[in-house]
Amino acid sequence: MSAFAGTGMLLRVALRKDRVRLSVWVGLVVLLAFYCVDAVKAAYPNEGDLAALLGFVQGPAGVAMTGPGYGLDTPTYATVFAGVYALYVYLAVAFMGATAVVRHTRADEESGRSELIGAGAVGRFAPLTAAGVVAMGASLVTGVGIVGATWSYGSAADAWLLGACAASVGIVFAGIAAVAAQLAERARSAMSMASAVIGAAVVVRGVGDIMREHGSWLSWFSPFAWAQQTRPFAEPRWWPLLVPVVVAACLWAASAVLLARRDMGAGLVAQRPGRSHASRWLAGPYSLALRLERGSIIGWSLGVGFSGLLYGSLAASVQESLANLPQNLKTVLLAQDGDLVDAYAATMAFFDALLVACFAIVAVHRLASEEAAGRAEVVLAAAVSRRTWVGASVVAALVGSVVVTLAGGLGLGIAVGASLGDSSRVWPLVLAQAAYLPAVAVVIGVTAALASARPRWVSAAWALVGWGMFAGFFGQLVSLPQAALNASPFHSSTSPGLRSSRSPPLRSWRCWRRARRSWASRW
Amino acid sequence: MTAVIEASGLVKTFGRTRALDGFDLTVQPGEVAAFLGPNGAGKSTTIRILLGLLRAEAGAVTLLGGDPWRDAVALHRRLAYVPGDVTLWPTLTGGEAIDTLGRLRGGLNEARKRELIERFDLDPRKKGRTYSKGNRQKVALIAALAADAELYVMDEPTSGLDPLMEAEFQKVVRELTGEGRTVLLSSHILAEVEKLCDTVTIIRDGVTVQSGRLADLRHLTRSAVTARTRDDAAGIGELAGVHDFASGADGLVTFSLDGDHTADVMAALAARGIVALESAPPSLEAMFLSEYGTAKASK
Ligand SMILES: Nc1ncnc2c1ncn2[C@@H]1O[C@H](COP(=O)(O)OP(=O)(O)O)[C@@H](O)[C@H]1O
Ligand SMILES: [Mg+2]
Repeated sequence: MSAFAGTGMLLRVALRKDRVRLSVWVGLVVLLAFYCVDAVKAAYPNEGDLAALLGFVQGPAGVAMTGPGYGLDTPTYATVFAGVYALYVYLAVAFMGATAVVRHTRADEESGRSELIGAGAVGRFAPLTAAGVVAMGASLVTGVGIVGATWSYGSAADAWLLGACAASVGIVFAGIAAVAAQLAERARSAMSMASAVIGAAVVVRGVGDIMREHGSWLSWFSPFAWAQQTRPFAEPRWWPLLVPVVVAACLWAASAVLLARRDMGAGLVAQRPGRSHASRWLAGPYSLALRLERGSIIGWSLGVGFSGLLYGSLAASVQESLANLPQNLKTVLLAQDGDLVDAYAATMAFFDALLVACFAIVAVHRLASEEAAGRAEVVLAAAVSRRTWVGASVVAALVGSVVVTLAGGLGLGIAVGASLGDSSRVWPLVLAQAAYLPAVAVVIGVTAALASARPRWVSAAWALVGWGMFAGFFGQLVSLPQAALNASPFHSSTSPGLRSSRSPPLRSWRCWRRARRSWASRW
Repeated sequence: MTAVIEASGLVKTFGRTRALDGFDLTVQPGEVAAFLGPNGAGKSTTIRILLGLLRAEAGAVTLLGGDPWRDAVALHRRLAYVPGDVTLWPTLTGGEAIDTLGRLRGGLNEARKRELIERFDLDPRKKGRTYSKGNRQKVALIAALAADAELYVMDEPTSGLDPLMEAEFQKVVRELTGEGRTVLLSSHILAEVEKLCDTVTIIRDGVTVQSGRLADLRHLTRSAVTARTRDDAAGIGELAGVHDFASGADGLVTFSLDGDHTADVMAALAARGIVALESAPPSLEAMFLSEYGTAKASK
């Protein structure tokens, strides 16, 4: 057991170090659950009116964004929460579990803290075990909080089931992050890997559930489906939760095996010697920022492009499903946009735009991390002004966003065009995707302003994407006030031909100017 | 001749910490100026102010005739900098980092870069994250030393280097000053300063303790004297210029001696019949310890 020596001590250190961050995570996720429960009731004071939701959640775009739709034929507050909103609670728990593990494993190792610890009386597996206990504990506590949120629905058994589902998602993605932390050499890459798996799990479940009502074989490859297939508040069953338990155990075993095979500080991928000179192209602050962002741009373009291809390829089945829909639903759906495939594709474009915004935040985040690492100092001690330095990161984020947007738009457009055999579909969808660029520019501006004012505030920018996602998917359903909708930068930019997107560029310009000013006046 | 660096009365606080508290520094063209002080004395803070990375709360700074905060970019083209804590971009190789850093400040001398890579025995093809501390330091040093700059500012440049590389570094610095360039380096390694520098400024708790040419400062310091005399040497301890006097059982006495009183004390010792005498020259180490020691004692 000496390989686990010191686990208890590390656990206390981790909890001490993480008490604020982890409490905020757990608190926010539980709050999100309470809020969703409340918001549905506030928007539909009469439970009978919930039927109006069906138009959205039973269309293909709705299914992709919510779940397999158990119990939604006769919707109640409880089934609407479990069938529509629970996915987003699960998503938050997934990120919580993954970040907790990466923070306490690879991030510590990268910074050299583990070396200090490893030289003490601490076993090889102790840090990994401590990280796992922290992540699982946080997932379980969150699960209990969610039980509290859904308690008011009056079925204790279903509330516990839903809480267990949330915890299971956190535990599985903590395991995935543990494996990623062994493979990647840097915390940033480990987190990107884990995020990519979370994204893939969302997409796979969406596509699987669109393929067949209540989910197909494909859905079962996604941890989100394992949770949703327990059908809480509809026809509850516990056995699907066996899958995450077994998978999580395998993942943790795998990460332990990988850990035992590698050196401290190393990843599993061997290092090859690189260039001995910088290319002629790498010559200034702008090209440096782009060069540092290159790997990230390629990765995100592949990810977003692939998700676009996947969603787009369903266009034919979406069109087909129109024929089978009841007449009243058809009117609801067609009233939205006139063309069901367009409505579906517009929703997917919005989803991809959120992903582009995530890329952009991570890219601008570099301002803060370069400063913390001390690399900003050498650049600013060269012939680079503060403005140029901030500007270079912002430009790199903008250029990257354009590339990722194009990848997403082309993926969606080409797949929809191919699926329907109609090449005229391609360009409008690329344009629809590009229409979100001003909104992404707002996100970039806000992130840069935060990073410039106080590097530690930069994470607050995620709230913008979180709010954009909530307002975009549920704003109309829960009848948010117009001002709240307008607070989302994505709100005014919809597919071309609908509303104009005049305000975001202005807003982003203002944020950008503020960022530059606050950089120049810091210290 | 106008000074390359002229700083006076610098004050900088971080919350409750007073990192600099009325600090003065002057560096003349063509000299190697050292900047000596224990950890946390305020060396890095001063250098960051000189580079316009931090803004002093009080005091005046002129660097190469300009204002380091206002004219940062123009001034940085004329200087090269080695930070105290070198971190490299994890995904760039050492060679790429050297070229990038050089180009960011306006280009570097290709021939000298190749020569320095050779002399410092660096493998430029490795990724930044795989370098050891010493090798990261070499990357930063090569990027700075390969620049054709008027002024080189280096914050503890030899930290992490092995003795061979340290000697190589000293050679390179001498070559640079031979070409009339100015060097400011901070250090807490006294031997390095003694070997390399013309002037030294000692900083402690954010104030200048002493500054001047190394040769002049030595006069102010005490030699360590060990002597054995035929007659009882107890009276020596009362003489002016003698400090920390102690006598052993077998007639052995030890004390430290102020340079200005050497003649009187030696005469007194001779009168008591010197059997053996050993006098260690004042090392910067002793000077440093006495300065730092009194600072601690007076607190
Ligand atoms: N960014 C900062 N925030 C707070 N305190 C700082 C900061 N930078 C330096 N200090 C403090 O200022 C003092 C001088 O630091 P520094 O200039 O780095 O010393 P040196 O380089 O001589 O070792 C130390 O007490 C240090 O803790
Ligand atoms: Mg320092």
